[in-house]
Formats: sequence, structure tokens, C-alpha cells
Amino acid sequence: MAVIDAAPTEVSSAAHPASPRSQTPRRRSVWKRNAGLTFALPALVWFLVFTIGPLFSLFYFSMTNWRGLIAPRTFVGLDNFTKLFADPVLHQAALNTLIQLVITVPIVVCGAFMTAYYVNLRPRGHRFIRAVLFTPVLLSAPALALVFLGVFAPTGLVNGFLDTIGLGHIAKPWLANGDSAFIAIIIVILWASVSVSAVMLASAMNSLPTEVFEAAELDGCGHWRRMWLIAFPMAKGFVGVITTLQFLWTLFTSAAVVLLLTRGGPGTSTINLSFLVYDYAFNKSKVGYAQAIAVILFVLGVLGLIGIRRLFRSKP
Amino acid sequence: MTTTASPLNTRAQAAPVRASSSRGSRGISAFLTYLSHGAIWLYVLLLLVPIYYLVISAFKTNTAILNEPFNPFAGLVLDNFGKAWEQATLGPALLNQAYLTVGASVLTLLLAIPASYALARSKGKLGGIVERIFQVGFLVPAFAALVPTVMLAISMNLFHTREFLILFLPAGAMPLSVILLTQAMRTVPAELEESAVLDGASQMRVLWAVFLPVTMPTTITVIILNFLGFWNEYFFSLVIIGPDPALRTAQVALPTLSMTNAAQYGVLAAGIVITLIPVYIVYAIFAEKMEGAVLAGALKG
Repeated sequence: MAVIDAAPTEVSSAAHPASPRSQTPRRRSVWKRNAGLTFALPALVWFLVFTIGPLFSLFYFSMTNWRGLIAPRTFVGLDNFTKLFADPVLHQAALNTLIQLVITVPIVVCGAFMTAYYVNLRPRGHRFIRAVLFTPVLLSAPALALVFLGVFAPTGLVNGFLDTIGLGHIAKPWLANGDSAFIAIIIVILWASVSVSAVMLASAMNSLPTEVFEAAELDGCGHWRRMWLIAFPMAKGFVGVITTLQFLWTLFTSAAVVLLLTRGGPGTSTINLSFLVYDYAFNKSKVGYAQAIAVILFVLGVLGLIGIRRLFRSKP
Repeated sequence: MTTTASPLNTRAQAAPVRASSSRGSRGISAFLTYLSHGAIWLYVLLLLVPIYYLVISAFKTNTAILNEPFNPFAGLVLDNFGKAWEQATLGPALLNQAYLTVGASVLTLLLAIPASYALARSKGKLGGIVERIFQVGFLVPAFAALVPTVMLAISMNLFHTREFLILFLPAGAMPLSVILLTQAMRTVPAELEESAVLDGASQMRVLWAVFLPVTMPTTITVIILNFLGFWNEYFFSLVIIGPDPALRTAQVALPTLSMTNAAQYGVLAAGIVITLIPVYIVYAIFAEKMEGAVLAGALKG
């Protein structure tokens, strides 16, 4: 098998740019050339069945009236979507998601980039800093949320600290107040994300050529300018990847943080779109409606990815 | 624990880029340097404090957590661990998590290794298309399809089973695993393969005896990445395996502690620490590898 397979590959790939002269040999060679691909078939089928399949049916489910996982569905066309646009709860969730994105993505990317630049200068203790930065990578979303449940609890870390330094009077149940609960969730996202991104960027930037920096230093170029005018353009590709990952994290993974920290409350003050996808489907018996939100979320995700790609490609 | 940090070696010999700027504005630049040192160490402190608070609280009585939140020696007890273990039935939960992690990891490798072998050797258009599918698939957010995935589990008669997760999780891990392994397999020298073929080795044999040994480092990277992902998986385990204490995973069992112990952070903290131990052990052993793996995972996106 291997022998049959190996020989025609070279021939056909060499002949490829030129237009084929006869049909039959070419067709046979196409078949032979790809025979080895049968090994890739199981992985591809797996991916299509378990990842792409459910994603496709999502679009159908989003057009049904469906009240529970085992309840019957009726097709209602775009009803869920028209309802979405008039739903104040959804507006709030969309606004919260937007605010979370606008705050967390730039802070994470800039903070991680500067931290990575700093760590790569190998100042005293950089190994220790690296090890600490890596810690949040190991925390699952539930562990992360529960750690911060203790931090923000009425008798938790923050209030304990305020008491200790004599500011006990500004202590309050942070998660029981709409505004502070919303800020708490953003803090959790930042706490978990800046460090992870910094670790990845630091390793990536490690491969940048040192000579450029040395030359810039001789020219009297300070760290600030070296960081943004030299390192940043060179690491732009990596920064784009980090931005993409952070965008997806804030958009989707934050659902677990919201669920375990505030359950969307108090009231609806901390709900976001990804939390609603879960909450409506599994707690509020609005499965079809939740799928419409999931479609919106998915479309937002795709648009964001395209936007980020555009932003970081272009100019060299 | 401080580790010999990852692939830094390349630059280790080169002169460090630190030293202050040569002339002028020395005062300002020195000030900025101190400022950045200060900022970074403040940030490191902010990262450490919640972890410190978590770990010391796990060993303290509730009154001690309340009255002396930062004192690591106040009211030391070990009950919290026993309570957390019992209340959340962490024993079976950890076993379930391990079963899920190992099962899904093995299945991922069984699917991804032959696929990568085929893609690395294929020079045709079709191979390129399949590779492209995996490259785009890397960014598909599975979370959006939470409910359709539950429906798939129901239709396969595998709702409320761990086995569905073992089948399902590899699909999400497939794109990255295949991309990383394909790239690694492309680096296998053609002569190695040719000589094996001349010796009459079958495809399976070539894969097993020639490609696998050469790509072992990448395979380990993939295993570590998948281990982190599978061990920490939450939402799909929650909605598909469900809350049955005999079946649920550690990540699903853990949050139940926060509901039964609203005012007892010690027990919750102990539970969190217990579920973190396996990951920390793996990290302690593979620290360098793990950092490399997380980086590799990000860069191939």
C-alpha cells in the first residue's frame, strides 16, 4: 500500500501546475494520491459528528418553540429572533457582554504584552514571576469562581483586608450589589486572563531577534519605545492570537464564572449572553429561545474573529 | 517549585536587554524602571493573595477565617478536608474525572495520530482541505452548541453517562491535536520512511516505528494540553452527566460545596484544594513541558 502511494505523489505534485492532458490517468492518480487519507477519516468524522453537527442543528432548534429538553418542539420560523429584539433582559445581557469585552480584551492584551516584555528582560526573580503567572492556567472555571466566592464573600478576603487596615466601614457584600457584582466578575476575568496571556506572549516573544533591541538601545531608545515601536510590531501576529483567545474566553467561558459567582444576580445585573444560553435552556424552560441567543452569540463570535483578524493582519 | 523556565535557552547566552538608556533623561527613565518593577510585583502579589487565602483557609476553622483572615497559624484544623470529601463525595467524583480524562485522552490520540500521519504524508488537494477544516475548527466555540449536544447524547441513548463525554470531548480537542501532530510529523525525514518501506514495513508499522518515536515530544505536548482541558471541563459534564453523585465529575461536585456551606469557606477551600492537587502534581512534574504546551496551543490557532 505504502509503495503504491508514495510513487505517484511526486509525479502528480510536479505535474499539478500544468493542465492535465488526459482524464483517466489523472482521475486514478487523484484516487491513489488520497488513498492514504483514509487514516484521517475517523478523526474527521468524529469532528463533524460531535462538533459541526450540533452546531448545524443549533440553527434549526433556534427556530422552534420548545419548552423543555424532552418536550415536543414546534417550528415557528424567526419568531424567537423577533422576540429577542424586544426583550429587555436580552438587551441587558448584550450590553453586559459588550462592556465585558470592551473592558477585558484591551486590558488583558496590553497588560499581558507589557508583562511579557518585562519578564523577557529577565529581571531579578523572573523565574518566580513566570511560575506565579502560570498558576491561573491550572484552575478550572469552577475552581476560579469558587476561589473568588471566598474573596468577595461578606466575611471574605476583601472585607477582611478592609477591616485590617481600618477601612471596615466601606466593607459590603460585594456580590449582593448589582454594580459591585458586575465589577467583581470583570476582576475575576482579568485575574485569570492577563497572566495566562502573558505567559504565552513571553514565550512567543522570546524568539524575537535580540540584535534589533540591542541596536535600538545603542541609539538611546528607552524601554517604553522599544516595547511599543519595536517589540509590538514584531510580535503583532502573536498578539493577534492572544486577542482572539481572550475574545472567545470573555464571550463564552465567562458563563461559568457568572453562573457560580452570582447566578446572573442580583436581579439581572450580571447576566451576559453566554450565561443566558445556559440559564434559559436548563433553568427557565425556554430551550428554543435559548438557542436563538446561542445563534446570536455564535454570529458575534464569528464577526469578532473576522474583525480581530483584519485588525492584526494588514500593515506589516 | 521555581522552574527552569521554558524555551528561553535560545536567548540565554545573548546579552540581556536591560541596562538603562545611555544618556540624558536618566532620572525619568530610572523612575519609570522602578515604577514598572513595582507594578509587576504588585500584580504578582494580587495573583498570589487569593491563592494564599484559599490554601490557608482550607486548614482553618471558620471562626479563625473570620477573625484572623491572613494569619496562617490561627485555628488550624484538618476537618475541612474530611468534610469536603464526604459532603461532595469527592472520592467517586475524582475517579469519574480521572476516568473521563484518561478515556478521552486515549481516544483523542487514537484518532489524531493516524489522521496527522495521513495529512503529513498527503500532498494532494484533499489533504489540504481536511487540514484547513481542522484549522478553522480550532476556533469553533462548542459552548454555543450546548443544547444540541445534549440532544445528540439523548439520541445516542447516552444521556446521563460519562461515556458520552469520553466520546464527545475528543472532537473538541481534535483540531489542535491534529494541527500540532501534523506539523511535527512533517519534520520526519523522508529517508527514514523510505528505508522502512524498502524493508517491507506496512503503513501501520511505519507510523508506529518511524513516526511515533520522532514525534514523541509533540505527542506529550498534546497529552498535557488535553489533560488540562479534560480535567477542567465543566459545562458539558454538568448538563450531560448531571448531578448524580455516582457519576458526576469533580468539577461538577465541587460547586455543590458552596451551596451546602454558604458560611463555611474552610470546607469549600479544602474541596478546591483537593481538586487542584492532581493538576499541581502534573505541573510539578512537567512544568517546562506544560508551559511549552500552552504556548504551542495558542500559536497554532
